[in-house]
Formats: sequence, C-alpha cells, structure tokens
Amino acid sequence: MIEVKNVTKKYGKAVAVEDISFTINDGEIVGLLGPNGAGKSTTMNILTGYIEQTSGEVTIEGYNTLKKPKKAKMQIGYMAEGVPLYTDLTVKEFVTYMAELKKVNRKERKEKVQKVIEQTGLKDVENKLTKNLSRGYKQRVSMAGALVGEPKILILDEPTVGLDPKQITEIRNLIKELGKTHTVILSSHILSEVSQICNKVIIINKGKIVAIDTPENLENKVSNNNCIYVTVEDTENKIDKIKDQIKEIKNIELVQENEDKTKQYLIEADKDIDLRKKIFSEFAKENITIFEMKKADTTLEDAFIKLIEGGNK
Amino acid sequence: MWAIIKKEFKSYFFSPVGYVFIGLFLIMFSIFFYTDVFYYQSTNFEYIFYSGATILTFIIPILTMRTLAEERKSGTEQLLLTSPVSITKIVLGKFISATLIVIITELCTFLYFGILSYFGTPHITTALVTLLGFLLLAMSYISFGLLASSITENQIIAGVITIAFFIFSWFLPNFSDVFADFSLINLFSNFPYGQIDIADTVIYITFTIMCLLLTIIVMQRRKSVR
Repeated sequence: MIEVKNVTKKYGKAVAVEDISFTINDGEIVGLLGPNGAGKSTTMNILTGYIEQTSGEVTIEGYNTLKKPKKAKMQIGYMAEGVPLYTDLTVKEFVTYMAELKKVNRKERKEKVQKVIEQTGLKDVENKLTKNLSRGYKQRVSMAGALVGEPKILILDEPTVGLDPKQITEIRNLIKELGKTHTVILSSHILSEVSQICNKVIIINKGKIVAIDTPENLENKVSNNNCIYVTVEDTENKIDKIKDQIKEIKNIELVQENEDKTKQYLIEADKDIDLRKKIFSEFAKENITIFEMKKADTTLEDAFIKLIEGGNK
Repeated sequence: MWAIIKKEFKSYFFSPVGYVFIGLFLIMFSIFFYTDVFYYQSTNFEYIFYSGATILTFIIPILTMRTLAEERKSGTEQLLLTSPVSITKIVLGKFISATLIVIITELCTFLYFGILSYFGTPHITTALVTLLGFLLLAMSYISFGLLASSITENQIIAGVITIAFFIFSWFLPNFSDVFADFSLINLFSNFPYGQIDIADTVIYITFTIMCLLLTIIVMQRRKSVR
C-alpha cells in the first residue's frame, strides 16, 4: 500500500508537483498519465526516494520514505527512465549486483537471480555485456534489476518507450503477468497502453492530479451522449420517420454516403439509454436494412484530452 | 557496502583504469628507482617514495574522477540511490575500493625492496612506516578526488579540479610559511625517516574524513534540490 499525502516538490520558485495525494492499494496496476513535463517522473522519483519532496508525506507499506528510507526502499523495485545500466557488467553480473544492493540473502542470491533472468527471458544473453544488447533486451535487464529481491511494489518509468511493436506487446504481457503478484505503478503517455494494462489511472497535468479513476469510468465520465453509428440501405429516405417513432433519439446526423448507396448515420441519445434494440426493430418495420451498427466508444484518449484541456482553461 | 566495494574494485579491472594506474605508477617508480640506485649508488628504499608522492599527485585523479561523476552522467546513480544502501555507505564503498588499488600498488613496490635487500640491507620498519605515510597521503588525495567527482557530472572536469587542487596545495607553503601544514605532500616528508608524526597523521586523517563528509553532504543535498 502506498500513501501519498499533500506532496509538493519545488525547484526554487518553479513547482514540479503541487499538493498531490493518492492511495494505491495492494495488487493494483496503476497508470500515471500525463503530457511531457507534467510531473510523472518527479512523482515516481519521490516515491522511490531518489529525490526528496519539499513538503508532504509518502508512506510505503507503512514506512515513511524520509524517516525509514531503507525499509521503504526495500519494498520497491524501480525501473528508471532511460534504462540506466552498468555497461561494463554482463547481464548476470548486473542482476547479481542489484540483488546484492538489495541485500538478498547470500544463500538464495544465485537462485533468485536465475529466477528473474528466466522470468524476463534473458537466459540466452545472460553472459553478454549489457552495452552490447539491443534496446528491448536492455529494457528487460532493467526490469530484471527491478524485480530481483522480490519487492512488493514495482515502479516502472515509461517501460515501453523506444521499443518496436513486438517488444511492446511482450513487455506489456510481462507487466500484466507481474501485476498478478505485485503492485505496479507505471508511467506512460501512450493511452492505449494504460487502458489495456491498468485498472486505475492517475492523470497528472502541470504538477496537479486531474483525475483518479478506472479507465472505464474516465471514459464514461467524459462521454455525455450515447452515440451509435448505423450503416443502412435506405433508398426511400425513411430515416426521417424514425426520429418521430423513437422519442429517445436526440439527433440523427448523416455521416457519409457510400458508393454502394448505403448511408452512415450517427444517432445520438441520452447517456444512460442503449437504443440498439429499438433501432433494430423499428428499422426492420420500416424496411430499412441495417448493414452495420456499432456503439461509438469514447476512448481514454478523449478523456485524457478533455481533462487536460479542462485544466488548462 | 560490501557489494559496492566488490563491484567498484572489479570495475577498476574491467576497464583499463586499474591497470593504467598501477602500470603508470610502477613505470615512473622504476625510473626513479633506477636513477636513485644506479646514479646515486643509494640502497635507500624509502627515499624513492618522495618521488612516488609526486607521481601520486598526478595519477590519483585516474582512480577517482569517474567514480561519482560517471554514475550521475549515465543515470546509474538512480539505481544506487533508490537501493536500500545509504549515501554514506556508497561513498565509503567507493573510497575503500580506490584505497585498495593503492594498497595493491604499494604491495607491488615490495619487489623493489626485494631487489635492494639482495644488494644491501634496507630497513624494514622504516620502509613500512614510509608505506603507511604514503597510504595516508593517498587516502587524503582519494577523498578529495571523490569530492571533486561528486560536484560535477563531467569526469574530465573532476580530474582537472583534483590535480589543480593538489598542485595548489603543494605550492601553498611557497607563498607563506603560515600554510606549511596545508601542503598534503609536505606532510609526507617525515615518514621516510621512519618517524610517524602524530600531527601529520592527524591532519591526513581529519582531511580525509572532512572530504568524505563533504562528499556525503553534496550527495545528500542534491536529493532535495535535484
């Protein structure tokens, strides 16, 4: 469990993070979301004890980061931004060194190092120098360094930056897998990533928390209307009648006319009403053939932009 | 702390740094040995260390300049500072591993002692006292080198600051006798006579502790201003 209470970080007069508070429970996968320079890394650095906050309090598993820094740090595995590695060590040596720094019991060290090397898929390259590895592997080494010593909490700063699509999927799956046994906090500005992996999102903008919620709730919050796209064959233009027949419809808008004489409409209704059933039956009565019908999803992306812009006004 | 000592010590030999340091010292030491023994027909082991101290002034930065600066530049500092190891132990670990390299270098000089004892009878106690003084000098140099390395992320600048300070402290007594005891290298001068001067020893040790403390403070302070 992580508790952040009224944390502020100032650099002289510039404020990096202002009065943020949140709680992260055990087993949650939390995404820290925000545009560049919003204060994501600063927040993570404060959690990991790399920097100290100007005011406020952070408790990790009950240990205050300023009063009991060692105990607090023991709970955390941290994958820093830009994957810093000791380039003159091999993968195995690097992970072993991390294990030693985290005071992993000497007898169990070898075994635990092997375990994370296998877990992160580094077995084939364990004797290679870290400087000779590709970006994707470096990311994994960094992840292995964070994982060793079995910390309860994993803090990952932009874990998928600079990876190719295949590697991104691999790392995401790894994070999902780890999320089953760890509390995970990751920062990202890729929204789809956060909505895929996380079950809680903290949106930060200009050093302040804009929203804390589940990805689904955030999406729902910003979508005022329930929108449905229908593609129909409607040669006699009966669609105008429909509006009178279904009273819940607020608006029908022609989106486009296709070459095969079908038309796509956008049908808007109030937030809590799902019209799909009604549309289907009414359209059938009027002999309008439905080719396609889908609910227009508001994405986390919309939510994000709306929240950030809302904050800027 | 043991982990840091071990890793730092190893990386002195993964990179050429350790070899360069020991090699350069021994080459220079051999030249001075040759001139002393063959040119001046002396079998005095200790006196060569006056020249040894001069060499040390110029090569200590090789050991110290990258220690903290490089960690900061490459970002690996984050790994250290977020691990459950205190800053004091990080600094001490780095200090001890650099000191170990100097000790290895000193052990190598026993080779010359061996050669001399074949031809004459060098005095073992005086030699040991000299080595002790030499180690104290090296420790104070290393501690300052660490301090210089902690204030910048450019290792070249750290190296230049270190050498500049050593040369400055060396020639300080030339400006006024008031500064006689501020010259680290001059404090060494009694040791080759077999005298352990308490005042000199205390100055070396306090200087070392002071520099290490300052390094720790610099690192700690950066946590709140970074």
